[in-house]
Amino acid sequence: MSIAVQRTPEMTLAKKIWQINWTFVFLITVTASVGFVMLYSAANGHIDPWASRQMARFGVGLTLMLVAAVIDIRFWLRYAYIIFFLSVGLLVAVEVIGTIGMGAQRWINLGVIRLQPSEMVKVTLILALARYFYASRPEDLSRVSYVLVPLILIAVPVFLVIRQPDLGTALMLLTTGVVMLYIAGTHAWMFIAAGAAALAAAFPVWKFVLFDYQKQRVLTYLSPETDPLGAGYHILQSKIALGSGGVFGKGFLQGTQSHLNFLPEKQTDFIYTMMAEEFGMVGALALLGLYTLLIIFGFAIAFRSRNQFGRLIGLGVTTAFFLNVFVNIGMVTGLLPIVGMPLPLISYGGSSMLTLLFGFGLLLCAYVHRDINLGPGAASSDM
Amino acid sequence: MKNSNFPASRRDGISAAPSIQLDGARKEALDTGRHRLVVTGVLLTMAFSVIAARLVDLAAMGDGVDRPAPRIAAVDQVSPGRADIIDRNGVLLATTLPTASLYANPKMILDVEQAAQKLAAVLPDLPIDTIREKLSSDRAFVWLKRNLTPKAHFAINALGIPGVYFRRSHRRVYPHGALFTHLLGRSNLDGKGVSGVEGYFDETLRHERAPLRLALDSRVQTILRGELGAAVNKFSAIGGAGVVMDVHSGEVVAATSLPDFDPNSKSDPKEEARFNRVTKGVYEMGSTFKLFTTAMALDSRTVSLTDRYDARSPIKIARFTIRDYHAKNRWLSIPEILIHSSNIGSAKMAIDVGSKKQREYLGAFGLLNRPNFEVPEMGRPLTPFPWRDINTMTISYGHGIAVSPLQLTAGVAALVNGGTYRHPTLRVVTGSDTRDTRRVIRKETSKTMRRLMRRVVLSGTGKNADVPEYPVGGKTGTADKPGNGHYGGRAIISSFVGVFPVDQPRYVVFILVDEPKGLPETQGLATGGWVAAPVVSRVVAQMAPLLGLDPALNTAEKERDFNVTAVRRQHRQTRGNPVAAN
Repeated sequence: MSIAVQRTPEMTLAKKIWQINWTFVFLITVTASVGFVMLYSAANGHIDPWASRQMARFGVGLTLMLVAAVIDIRFWLRYAYIIFFLSVGLLVAVEVIGTIGMGAQRWINLGVIRLQPSEMVKVTLILALARYFYASRPEDLSRVSYVLVPLILIAVPVFLVIRQPDLGTALMLLTTGVVMLYIAGTHAWMFIAAGAAALAAAFPVWKFVLFDYQKQRVLTYLSPETDPLGAGYHILQSKIALGSGGVFGKGFLQGTQSHLNFLPEKQTDFIYTMMAEEFGMVGALALLGLYTLLIIFGFAIAFRSRNQFGRLIGLGVTTAFFLNVFVNIGMVTGLLPIVGMPLPLISYGGSSMLTLLFGFGLLLCAYVHRDINLGPGAASSDM
Repeated sequence: MKNSNFPASRRDGISAAPSIQLDGARKEALDTGRHRLVVTGVLLTMAFSVIAARLVDLAAMGDGVDRPAPRIAAVDQVSPGRADIIDRNGVLLATTLPTASLYANPKMILDVEQAAQKLAAVLPDLPIDTIREKLSSDRAFVWLKRNLTPKAHFAINALGIPGVYFRRSHRRVYPHGALFTHLLGRSNLDGKGVSGVEGYFDETLRHERAPLRLALDSRVQTILRGELGAAVNKFSAIGGAGVVMDVHSGEVVAATSLPDFDPNSKSDPKEEARFNRVTKGVYEMGSTFKLFTTAMALDSRTVSLTDRYDARSPIKIARFTIRDYHAKNRWLSIPEILIHSSNIGSAKMAIDVGSKKQREYLGAFGLLNRPNFEVPEMGRPLTPFPWRDINTMTISYGHGIAVSPLQLTAGVAALVNGGTYRHPTLRVVTGSDTRDTRRVIRKETSKTMRRLMRRVVLSGTGKNADVPEYPVGGKTGTADKPGNGHYGGRAIISSFVGVFPVDQPRYVVFILVDEPKGLPETQGLATGGWVAAPVVSRVVAQMAPLLGLDPALNTAEKERDFNVTAVRRQHRQTRGNPVAAN
């Protein structure tokens, strides 16, 4: 009946590898290398304990990313929900068998590695939402009942993560989800209604849901100087270190605020501050520039994708990545509350590195399969 | 073809993917998607811009951090305070007391009104409105009161107001009050010396523990300030200056400038009281300069004591006329010129010496350059440029040149001590320390000058300066103050420079009174002889016994030896007794 052309024949593995956006891979590697350098500095000029392990993880993550990139995009489309529910299941599991780390229940100890399901959900939620919207029609998008399902998809992990309790990640999941709803084309009035509802809900949430320490963080954010030695200590030290770096910084390994341990968590959440102290405003802006390039690439890939699934994945991953960067730098510069968010690709940490690179793998996958047309039946057709 | 996304095509999957041509609805959806992509991108860009701006703000424009108020750890690092200053006999002139100062972090104050009321009750001299205002400030640090008394410190501590803290600090105390005001100077609230000895020796005082010993003698200083102050009051003068200097070492044992103020007082002194007339003020000294003119004429052998000058008529040069106040209208010998204080004679003498030699001599006496001295407030002498003959003439009797009292004192010391110039100093000079000395005049000239100065006191304008037991030599000076570009009017500067004991000089005493007004008992006169000479007399009479000088019991005998026969003969030849001219 129709012409029904197969516009992109099945690609060979070699062709797929060739199709990978290697410039993007290169940018990722450069950014991660900045992280290795800073972790070397954080250990006072030693490759152990952080830089070496971070490099190993990056190696594993890079492999994971490339594998994810060359896997047929229809595989991801088909198993998106399964992967998502698996990760949500892990999230439930930490509730049950999780061990206590850093005062919050976030890890699953698999013996070899410790998994942080909340990190994984960041990517799997994107996958699930992309799967849901990949073939949506305009008339669907104006129906509340149609949007209800993705809202539940978002709400479940958000709820579980808040319970851990990890406010920062929960807010990130929520924001990523909402951005994806927006990109998918959900009608604008829904966002307005949701915004009004959120405001109305804010009071009871503040009153009954948030833990005291979470409230305190928000309050301290509003005026950190009220408690310079207590809750305001992190942000104050961070700002002092940032300011002390000046325009050109104190030099590599010369950061006094960080090396003298005034700066807390310098190898994880506050690594950007340490970088700004040692390499100054110029170094900090250069890293911000690298991030911007990565985000531009992400957007370009999303834009270039001919199928909605790839576009939504590219956009979701890029948005999540952006939010990670924004929230981390925002908090160390005192623009946002301290929520405990690592700086992507730089901060020491296995789960976030692996999940992020996996996300980038999906992004690259979308790029490799950018010209494949995924019809509404693509998810269920046999491959 | 039309409805490619309907179930019929679902089973096709990719292989039967929708046609090339998209229907309107899908196209629209795709457009919406792209549109929203752009919106998202713009939002992200804005967010990153905010972050970049924040980074620039923090790193380049200052840290933007309200640093927490300094805590005890920082206070402990405060230095032990400035070193003491003592006089030559070890008397304490300045010391440092540890005190507590009160500050607040208004952000920590829970109840401003309550805190203000409590504090005002303990600190009655601090208005409650001021406290309230300070505690309501949006800064994180405000001083409430510096240097609390121990009692107030204890009381405020007992109040236990959160957000109110003490900072250990130091308070500079001058036990003698206004006695050494200008010489010692002051240090500011941060303990940095800003004027006087405090300023000059700031580094030393801050870093050394041992007290700084000065050449000053507080006993002599007390006498000098008391007597000068009495004269300033008596003659309703606007101010005065006094210096006592050791002629051989150059040590300034006392120096005072009036009006002064109590450096312990917290209120700001008037500009007038802050001014150090001894070192910073430069004045046309008038006739005391004739000492230098006579000395240089004799020393350069331009004249001998027996030479005479025609003082019968005023000198007219250019638009100026030089005349004597009490014209003798006859020829005057060199001693007579000094004793009668003849301007005409001095001017002619100076012309014979010549401008070049005059400059050389005045320079050697330290009168043309700003001297080195241990206070930062030093005045630069005013000298004529170009230096014409008319200047040479007026300078010969102390006009057209302005020097500080300290300079004049040091110059006269060189005149009488045997002819060597010593820099005036506040440092204690040890016996062997002879650096910075230079010969200015010959020993014989110095001796002659001492005799001439003694004559001025015995039979000239300086009679009021004499002390029975301690032979004083000296010279009066009365100068019109220039006002509005011309001389005249009633404003004068009266001075006297005395040296004692005149046969073996130890000290020069210089007294200057600014704008004294005549009194009935002085026949309405306010000249150096009437105003300043008696002060020198009283200062010498009190300080000489204190300093262990033997009273000259055989004064009369000494006088006989002292008076050069030649001078006496000369006097007889020129008929009559010398009369005070000025």
